[in-house]
Amino acid sequence: GNVSESATGLPVPGANVIVKGTSNGTTTDFDGNYTIENVSEGDILVFSFLGFATREISYEQQSTIDVVLEEDQATLEEVVLIGYGATTEQDATGSVKKISAGEFNQGAVVSPEQLIAGKSAGVRITPGGGAPGEGSEIRIRGGSSLSANNSPLIVVDGVPLDQRGVQGVRNQLNSINPNEIEDFVVLKDAAATSIYGSRASNGVILITTKKGKKNSDLSLTYDLKASVGNIVDKVDVLSADQFRNLIEETPGTDASLLGDANTDWQDQIYQTSVGAIHNFTATQGFDNFYYRVNFNNTSQTGVVKTDTYERNALNLALNLDLLDNHLKLGLTSKGILDENRFADDGAIGAAIAFDPTQPVYEPDNNFGGYFEFKTSPRQEMVQATRNPLALLEQKNGRGLTRRNITNLNAEYKFHFLPELKFNMNAGFDYAENEGYNKRPRYSAANNQDIPFEEIYSGFNRNTLLDFYFNYKNEVEAIDTDVDLTAGHSYQEFYIENRRQQTISNEVSVFPTVIDRNALESYFARASFDIADKYLISASIRRDGSSRFGGDNKWSNFPSASVGWKVHNENFLRGSNVLSKLKLRAGYGVTGNQEIGSNYGYLGIYTPSIARASYQFGNQFYSTLRPEEFDENLKWEELQTYNAGIDFGFFNNRLSGNVDAYYRQTRDLLAEVPVPAGANLSDLLVTNVGETVSRGIEIGLSGVLAQSEDFNWDLNYNITFQDLEITRLSLGDNPNFFIPQGGISGGVGNNIQIWKEGYDPSTFFVFRQVYDNNGNPIEGAYVDVNGDNEITEADKQPYKKASPDYFMGLTNTMSYKNFDFSFTFRGSFGNYMYNNTQSSNGFVAAGTNTPQDYYANMNANVLETNFEKSQYFSDYYIQAADFVKLDNISIGYLIPGEKVDFRASLTATNVLTITDYEGLDPEISNGIDNNFYPRARTFVLGLNLKF
Amino acid sequence: CESDLELQPEDNRKTAENAFKDPDAYKQFLAKLYAGLAVSGQEGPAGNPDLEGLDEGFSQYIRLYFKMQELTTDEAVIGWDDGTIKDLHAQNWTAGNEFIRTMYSRIMYQIALTNEFIRQTSDEKLDSRGVDGELRGNIENFRAEARFLRALSYYHALDLFGNPPFVTDEDPIGAFLPEQIKRPALFDYIEGELLDIEDEIAAVGSNEYGRADQGAVWMLLSKLYLNAEVYTGTAHNAEVIEYTNKVINSGYQLADSYKKLFLADNNTNGAQNEIIFPITFNGKETQSYGGLTFIIHAAIGGDMKAADFGVSSGWAGLRTTSALVNKFQYQETEDEVIFEDNRGLFFTEGQSLEIDNISSFNDGYAVAKYRNVDVNGEPGSDETGEFVDTDFPMFRLADAYLMYAEAFVRGGGGSQANAVAYVNELRERAFGDSSENISAGELDLDFIINERARELYWEAHRRTDLIRFNRFSENGVWPWKGNVPQGTTTQEFRNLMPIPASDLGVNTNLTQNDGY
Repeated sequence: GNVSESATGLPVPGANVIVKGTSNGTTTDFDGNYTIENVSEGDILVFSFLGFATREISYEQQSTIDVVLEEDQATLEEVVLIGYGATTEQDATGSVKKISAGEFNQGAVVSPEQLIAGKSAGVRITPGGGAPGEGSEIRIRGGSSLSANNSPLIVVDGVPLDQRGVQGVRNQLNSINPNEIEDFVVLKDAAATSIYGSRASNGVILITTKKGKKNSDLSLTYDLKASVGNIVDKVDVLSADQFRNLIEETPGTDASLLGDANTDWQDQIYQTSVGAIHNFTATQGFDNFYYRVNFNNTSQTGVVKTDTYERNALNLALNLDLLDNHLKLGLTSKGILDENRFADDGAIGAAIAFDPTQPVYEPDNNFGGYFEFKTSPRQEMVQATRNPLALLEQKNGRGLTRRNITNLNAEYKFHFLPELKFNMNAGFDYAENEGYNKRPRYSAANNQDIPFEEIYSGFNRNTLLDFYFNYKNEVEAIDTDVDLTAGHSYQEFYIENRRQQTISNEVSVFPTVIDRNALESYFARASFDIADKYLISASIRRDGSSRFGGDNKWSNFPSASVGWKVHNENFLRGSNVLSKLKLRAGYGVTGNQEIGSNYGYLGIYTPSIARASYQFGNQFYSTLRPEEFDENLKWEELQTYNAGIDFGFFNNRLSGNVDAYYRQTRDLLAEVPVPAGANLSDLLVTNVGETVSRGIEIGLSGVLAQSEDFNWDLNYNITFQDLEITRLSLGDNPNFFIPQGGISGGVGNNIQIWKEGYDPSTFFVFRQVYDNNGNPIEGAYVDVNGDNEITEADKQPYKKASPDYFMGLTNTMSYKNFDFSFTFRGSFGNYMYNNTQSSNGFVAAGTNTPQDYYANMNANVLETNFEKSQYFSDYYIQAADFVKLDNISIGYLIPGEKVDFRASLTATNVLTITDYEGLDPEISNGIDNNFYPRARTFVLGLNLKF
Repeated sequence: CESDLELQPEDNRKTAENAFKDPDAYKQFLAKLYAGLAVSGQEGPAGNPDLEGLDEGFSQYIRLYFKMQELTTDEAVIGWDDGTIKDLHAQNWTAGNEFIRTMYSRIMYQIALTNEFIRQTSDEKLDSRGVDGELRGNIENFRAEARFLRALSYYHALDLFGNPPFVTDEDPIGAFLPEQIKRPALFDYIEGELLDIEDEIAAVGSNEYGRADQGAVWMLLSKLYLNAEVYTGTAHNAEVIEYTNKVINSGYQLADSYKKLFLADNNTNGAQNEIIFPITFNGKETQSYGGLTFIIHAAIGGDMKAADFGVSSGWAGLRTTSALVNKFQYQETEDEVIFEDNRGLFFTEGQSLEIDNISSFNDGYAVAKYRNVDVNGEPGSDETGEFVDTDFPMFRLADAYLMYAEAFVRGGGGSQANAVAYVNELRERAFGDSSENISAGELDLDFIINERARELYWEAHRRTDLIRFNRFSENGVWPWKGNVPQGTTTQEFRNLMPIPASDLGVNTNLTQNDGY
């Protein structure tokens, strides 16, 4: 007979087949085939394999018994990593979500966080833009801080990454090959995260990469994902004819400045992107040694010309079990070579603004043959829009980063007390980068008489040493499982960078910048499971940071949580309907120390560098500046209350959870105006203010069909969240606000505010007045304060960029050898400031130019007929609710004699349903300005397994 | 490991303790106090800014001071759309205006810097660091200059904001709430400081170029006294005569040509003998997007040729109103406008005299006063034409002449003959001969305010002058004042700028100026 797995239809090699109650048994071969002899009628054959539900089939003289094994949800999801240890899903008391490889988003995924977009309630992953290898903004429960970093702590195979990322790359997570990720565990509430103390306020994501398996045959896999992508839409600008008409009709313009070409500049800068991701993997396992080796090559071009990304990575996982399995050594090492050619993103805005009546090329001119606005054959108009294509093709900007992330883990189970384990991690993350940006002398974008050249290099070093003891035992006398952990951790971050650049016809060498900071921590956790019904857990972490001084250097981060496994109570034990019911509640304190500067508590002096000297007599003196500081700088502190229910019906065919939280950030680290005169700058990072956030997160998963041939799973999650600033300054003026959200158009213009009582992404605008036909009246705004003048005192907080609620829906289906999946994501209540319209959608944007040229306008000008800029009109605050079909994928498996072959076809960024008029309703800060468009991509996947 | 948490800077940044081990550090710190008026941060032209609240180029001291003093008056309009910049000319600014806020921040920052210098050079600190000998003597001079620069910035605060927060070297650095000082008390403080350092600071002409000396102290005292009635209700015109006399009799000399004062080589072409206190700029060494780089670039647009001004491009922003132009004598021919007064440095080709649309550069005459070329027409040191060499004449002798004349007319004493002679010296330079000289009878306040405009326009005196003459808000009309084309009066409270809402929000010790 043959043993295969139900989800994929792949054969299961190494499965045990045994006659129940005897020692007569065998294992399946590489193709899942087995032969067993000496079986009598009525004997029961037991088919088992780790991670699958064991099946028993009685022998009725069949010559062949083919068996399909179901993945055993209970065992598969049994173990969930939490910081410094693991628990089981049913024993977890915090808000923890594990997302395994089977649930990942399909497609040519380069950045690992995109694997889990839409997969978990409370987690919002917003891609940064369409550049190849671009990263995403990850927000767990919306972030809790204002100026400090709002990104979660990411721990890869036990090594916490630097929350600031590493230099020179588009996304530091690209160092983790998506193909090699086993699972993500998202720790959301403080009960789960506070073991990470001062870095846990924004949640923690634990990424575990794949390892080899014990006692497994050599397996070789080749996986290819080839993709092509195109932009979905272009910004709606005036055509050459529309533009010419408008210029000619506008009084005071000089139509002789126009050309007679008809150029679509957006067509000039975009291209079809192509990419390929190759993965070669080998795994093998022996009794006490197993390994997995993966080589990855990823290359992608961008939809913007000249943009490319290439990654070559080697992943290695070695495991060695010694001393009769008492000592387990694990080594994971990732070596990455990350190469970029960075396009000049300015071309995106230039393509929108460049005069469409001008040609792309002007042969034999002084600017490399590209048309440019000029005052003389040699002198470009410095203030004019530059030729978008020249911006791209004349810039040679390349960066190379070599990175190694290695962790050596040793776990020793004491011989005399096997319940006690010692676990040690020695981690190392080193990334060195080098790169340059060059432009030829004749490029109009280079206003120098020498070629423009910027050269940079540097490295990031992150070293970790942590260890802990874990004691796990069942104390029968009190019917309690005890799990105790205590440990210590030290981690240091060292950053160095160098840069030189041509400025004003000279090479300026900037001083080397060095930044070092360190964290030292002690932590402990105790968990009790009483009578398999009542769970109690508490943890504490004591963190010390080099970023704070005096009494503020050290701080404690405690948590406590309880759980009640109601389904284990007698009154529910026999229920056929309710198969799981668990109640959870927790409280904890976490911190945030990612404040940007390392020496913010220490008054330091910074020398000036070239060109900022001052003349005394005939000599120029470099200067020495004392920096602003706050001696009393301390941690930002977040208190979280969380309550949750986990439930399952019909043997967990329908299951889910609901979590509700309330969070309060105190001593908020924010860059706020410091009382004038009190310090050495106008803004200071200090502990000021509070935010409160609330949310409800619901996750549901249903197994709609479960049979040998047909399986259908549906997962859905929805998150409601609300974040509000409740206090912002040292004073108590309720009208106090801090402008945020710089926009394009007018220097220093901001469109958002921080203000008490509002979400931090709230817009701050004039209320537009409309005529009877619903058209905006230029310059007419509601005089809110009734002083008969429209001044900025009439601006009002209005709408916000963050959603009120968002959701994700994942469908997976398989029928025999076919599989089919898709993911929808939706976001509601979020608004966008359409800066593309506001900065180019008025006549003066095209005509009131500082030199003799005209600029193209957003076609929105034809609707508003605005003559002048109206940047602060709420007309441009537009609803950006959306539903996106992120990906849709179909696959087919052809099992073979020696080779299994799987082919798949995936489309990503397939469909966006929205009323928003701009290119994309999903831009993380809510300001749509020169956005790098996301491509719609088609991916052909091939997988060969030998 | 715990000692590993005591980390200090390892690059070019230093703790105070380490920084002042280097004896050169004191002069470098002094240079920062001066540079605070010229650049916007520790990297030229931009990068590592001093202030974070507004775009770095915008936050430069002279650029902001120019905007406060000129855009609010008949001398200048700007066509840009940056934030609330147009509210300055419209005189409808509010406490939320980011340019006013940043001026205030910049002034208070400069004061905090000078306080820190004074703290770091106390006898106690110098003793503890073993500083003695020549260096100790030099530092005494530095301290007097630091106090001068503090007084200068407090004077700007006094003039613009009236009742600013008050911090001295006695206060700590932190996030405390400074007390507010009232205008008359601040007047007394500045006067006391200047009188205190009058004899400690270097004598006229004995200091290095660019550094303040007695002449600068006397000029500042003169300006303080001239406006004393506005600041305190009590006039001090006799003191104006006393201190302008000291300036006038110290050997300063008018430049032989008005134009030279505003050229790239105004530190060497003879103008330096007239300029009492410059803010120095250099296209290579002292770069920022403020100061004269801003004033020169922003004033170029339309048909003006940037190369004539020694720069590579214009930013097409600043022009002037007909109210200033009409203070000059000129003749219009078919294709040009000829100014008999050679101080009328306007660019008129393609420009209309009246302003229909403030945003359009061609509306209003352009001002061609400042240039980044030397007396021979050669451009400044930055070959890329971005940053300029022209120094900003914060105080110059011509202003002392006019202050003397005004104080005389206002009854401060002095000599009528001298007053008339000083004014006529300026007019002879302006017209090339004595044909336009005035008689004693013509020297009155009306004449002086207009002559000050003709002589000192775009040198950041105008707002102060108009307020002193009570022609800034409820009197005085010029195009687009009050946000109407023909101009209208505004309310008197606008003689003071508001305390920025952001500082009122954080510092509960502050009370808003009346009217806002």
